[in-house]
Amino acid sequence: MIWKSENRKWKFGKKAWKSLFAKKLGLGMSDEDKIALVREPIANAALAECVRAGKDGATVTFDGHVRNESHGRATSYLEYEAYEAMAIAKMKEIAAQIHEKFAIDRVAMVHRLGRLDIGETSVFIAVSAPHRGAAFDACRYAIDTLKKTVPIWKKEFFADGAVWAEGELPPTPPSAKSAS
Amino acid sequence: MGYNFCMVQTAANVRVKVLFFGRLRELIGIAEESGELPEGTTLAQVFERYAERFPKLGGFRGSMVVSRNQEFAAWETRVAAGDEIAFLPPVSGG
Repeated sequence: MIWKSENRKWKFGKKAWKSLFAKKLGLGMSDEDKIALVREPIANAALAECVRAGKDGATVTFDGHVRNESHGRATSYLEYEAYEAMAIAKMKEIAAQIHEKFAIDRVAMVHRLGRLDIGETSVFIAVSAPHRGAAFDACRYAIDTLKKTVPIWKKEFFADGAVWAEGELPPTPPSAKSAS
Repeated sequence: MGYNFCMVQTAANVRVKVLFFGRLRELIGIAEESGELPEGTTLAQVFERYAERFPKLGGFRGSMVVSRNQEFAAWETRVAAGDEIAFLPPVSGG
């Protein structure tokens, strides 16, 4: 915090505070969308805050967290791993898609990796928009697409063993396109 | 470098990086390796080499996808110098 005593004005504007926030979250300095993979707990409230601007009338958030059971077995904890460079690229693609498909303002999309305990947030998405409909639709599209196309894997640990979650096969390009 | 990469060939070889993730990585105990392949090798053929080296990998061919340079790719795609190839089990993020 810097107090500019001579004219009694905050030296840090709104933008600077946002950047500071983003830096703390490990999200880079962009004032636009926030796309990240993190290994520490996701700062849900801060992310929801950083997408809202004056022109927005709604922010829709999706908070995906760790369930205490899987197919009737009590889960102890989960471990997530990712093909990190590609996962970030795919998450950015999703952000670009929802900007194109829906009348939204900003997107924050963060996935956590490593060990997660029951109840902890594994993925958090926040979408702001002038009107709620677009924010709802875009947020739904973003999480549904993330689960199908982003190279992240979940291993479920139980009291008596561990399994890789079944998952979904991402769509691949048609063969003809591959000749190059 | 894996021995399956050590080709005695007259055709030009290209250097590539190969990555495995999730259950595939666990199955063969390799996350990443680099090596040389004959130019024109398809991604399917790259996988076949690994399946020969690690027979238990073969059963997963139908339930995985492949990427080239961080884009999902068709199995018929041919490798080029400097490619980063990754074999990816079904994704389960979220």
